[in-house]
Amino acid sequence: MKDTRRSFLKKSALISASVLIPDFLKAFGSLANPQQFVGKRLVVIQLSGGNDGLNCVVPFRNDEYFKLRPGIGLEEKQRIKITDDVALNSSLAGLADLYNQGHLTIINSVGYPNPNRSHFRSTDIWQSASDANQYVNTGWIGRYLDALCTDNCANPHTAIELDDTLSLVLKGIKTKGLAFDDPKMLYKTAQNELIQKIAKSPYHDHHDSVASFLHKSLRETTQSSDYIYEQSKIYSSQLTYPATNFAKRMKTIAELICSGSETQVYYISLPGFDTHAGQLGMHDRVLSTYSEAVKAFCEDLKANNLFDDTVILTFSEFGRRVKQNASRGTDHGTANNVYVINGKLKKPGIYNELSNLTDLDEGDLKFTVDFRQVYATIVENSLSKPSKLILGGEFQSLDFL
Amino acid sequence: MASHQTKIQHLLLRAGFGETPENLQNLIKKDIQTVVDRLFDDSKNFKELNYLPYPLNEKEQKKGAGGAKQVKLFIKSFAEMEQLNEQWIFKMTYTKAVLREKMTFFWHNHFATSIQIAYLMQVQNNTLRTHALGNFKTMLHAISKDPAMIIYLNNQQNVKDQPNENFAREVMELFTLGEGNYTEKDIKEAARAFTGWTTNKMGNFEFVEKKHDFGEKEFMGKKGNFNGEEIIDILLENPQTAKYITTKLYKEFVNAKVDKVRVHHLATAFFESGYDIEKLMRSIFTADWFYDDENIGSKICSPVEMIVRFKKYLEIEFLELKYLLNFQKGLGQVLFFPPNVAGWKGDTHWIDSASLLLRLNTISYINEEGLTLDIHGKPAFEAELEERPVQKGKKKLSAVWEPFLKSLQNKTDDELIDLFIQSSRESINKELLIGLTPKAKIIQLLTFPEFQLI
Repeated sequence: MKDTRRSFLKKSALISASVLIPDFLKAFGSLANPQQFVGKRLVVIQLSGGNDGLNCVVPFRNDEYFKLRPGIGLEEKQRIKITDDVALNSSLAGLADLYNQGHLTIINSVGYPNPNRSHFRSTDIWQSASDANQYVNTGWIGRYLDALCTDNCANPHTAIELDDTLSLVLKGIKTKGLAFDDPKMLYKTAQNELIQKIAKSPYHDHHDSVASFLHKSLRETTQSSDYIYEQSKIYSSQLTYPATNFAKRMKTIAELICSGSETQVYYISLPGFDTHAGQLGMHDRVLSTYSEAVKAFCEDLKANNLFDDTVILTFSEFGRRVKQNASRGTDHGTANNVYVINGKLKKPGIYNELSNLTDLDEGDLKFTVDFRQVYATIVENSLSKPSKLILGGEFQSLDFL
Repeated sequence: MASHQTKIQHLLLRAGFGETPENLQNLIKKDIQTVVDRLFDDSKNFKELNYLPYPLNEKEQKKGAGGAKQVKLFIKSFAEMEQLNEQWIFKMTYTKAVLREKMTFFWHNHFATSIQIAYLMQVQNNTLRTHALGNFKTMLHAISKDPAMIIYLNNQQNVKDQPNENFAREVMELFTLGEGNYTEKDIKEAARAFTGWTTNKMGNFEFVEKKHDFGEKEFMGKKGNFNGEEIIDILLENPQTAKYITTKLYKEFVNAKVDKVRVHHLATAFFESGYDIEKLMRSIFTADWFYDDENIGSKICSPVEMIVRFKKYLEIEFLELKYLLNFQKGLGQVLFFPPNVAGWKGDTHWIDSASLLLRLNTISYINEEGLTLDIHGKPAFEAELEERPVQKGKKKLSAVWEPFLKSLQNKTDDELIDLFIQSSRESINKELLIGLTPKAKIIQLLTFPEFQLI
């Protein structure tokens, strides 16, 4: 499978490169939305640093858990029971509510073969949806954007990252997503008078493809920043969000969704999960930042009847070692749990068996679900594209959506 | 056809990081061959980066650093990575040996490595610099024994009973042959030959005999009790290595669109010369086709190239090291932190909405001393994985305008365009320059997307 996948990615890059020039010459000046979106909006949250999933979804009946984690195993008051055998970290109260309402699916033991324990490399692998020994220049959402190109390609704001730099995940060959921290800041930067003058100048293509490419990118950028700025003024959330930076960005996403923005995918990451030492307090804080913001976000969507049409995926680049380390923390691990939130889940609850804590691979959890199976499910059900086209290989869909 | 001035500028931008208008005045009076010769002459003598001393004291060297000390070293090293980054930018900007620095920068991306022990990154950087214009064969052997490379590609874990294939795979896929020119079996056999190649506490290469697999290997159709050096030699005996390296150099120094016939001739000569890098680069810079219109101004400069060019023009200093790092992150290229072993992709991969806006705004940010330059970017290393505060409304850099503006006094708009724009001048809307003060004119001109093309 690997060879065909490699050659697929290579081929798709070649094909895309060869059609690059005529494509954007056609798109000149106009940036029509190429296809009406019929799927569900997707919000992807990356808990960056390597979230300790075992202290999020706690197998509290499993003696092995307490044996391997004498200093950081969660006691009764530190957890919220959701089934007879499973509890959530008490800092995930918002998530527990969603669970009880049937709006959360927890998928256990998600990973990939030959796991890499470097934050950066493993993030690369998750974002590009590649094998562990492949280096791919595009992200899976970026390839989705490319797949939307017909005569014209989608606008950058079709996929947005709430950050001041764009991650690999939103980079395609022909189309790339739009990154910004705050719509006003983006607008201000793009409004630099000197840049506006250039963007608004008539531009005649001089068969100089690289200069044309830059001018085209600039026009798209200013148009998208205008669009997002205008959209951000339409709907202002009445709900109180927590006072964290993460919640502020989640609120921006909710406001764009509720204002009817054309955006199909939103990407956001929350740092602080690299809990090597003194894990408990640190992990609690960052989990409640996550959970409280997601809770407010879901309420916002529900109030606007948009919860059923929005899928929220949360993952981390890896889980952590099962056994705690000498500093009451955990080191980089492998497989991990993934959370899917939506108003109309096909299979809410605990999707599959909890990770086996006795059958470990050198102290780390073994994966049973390939992360690309989760992506495949989302690509087919939420983004309405054949997953093979986006992921470059056959990955069996799951049935949570 | 391009003017002589444009051709000289082309050479200086590709073989170096560009020149100030003042230095250009003299250089454009010379013919191409003279300037090429001078670039190579000026790169004969060079100084290493020697900012960081070896981090362990004598006692620690003997015993090895304990856990707490290691953590301390590690944290110190993050700050050191930033200092090393700044030192290299400084060197690129002000050294006489510009071609050597440009080549070192190329090899930094070819042998892309990122470990968070600044001292070892400095050692590697100096190894690359030493061989940058020398012999690729010698460089490949040296870099394969480089401690940072060994750590980065897990060769320390590559031992007889449990081979780790990481280095063996990348040395073929990324450093010599390129994908599709070897088999999985070749990787397995090569990995065995590299077992026991490790690095000691002194930060030196060490061959640990008892961890090495002395058995027979079958590699690329040959059988023998190959060691690591012999595997590397077999890779170098394959003309595909010369082709792969030449293609990559052509893409970087000439044009991202490869002319296969030209590259074939260059690669054949490179192979026959026994991998003489200087000879190859000379033949590129002196070729007529190097100065063809299709090659001039056809390359999107890398973020570091842009930073160094601005620094040359305006002596930019970032007031805190983290601002320099954050700026590089915003643009998508932090020195010493390539995204992975495949390096930065370059070309159109540099450009997305956010990074393009940052590039085009750079001269405006410089003009306002970085007051609204509030980029922090994604973490480049582990210590940064925590949430970081944003420093809004602070001056973040300084610039020296007078000498630069003075060197541009009395220039017509067309002359200014000739100085700063290498590509399609017809696409520059000259009306935008009318009626502006000299400084405002320069700022507008350096905002054009075409300025990003070198």
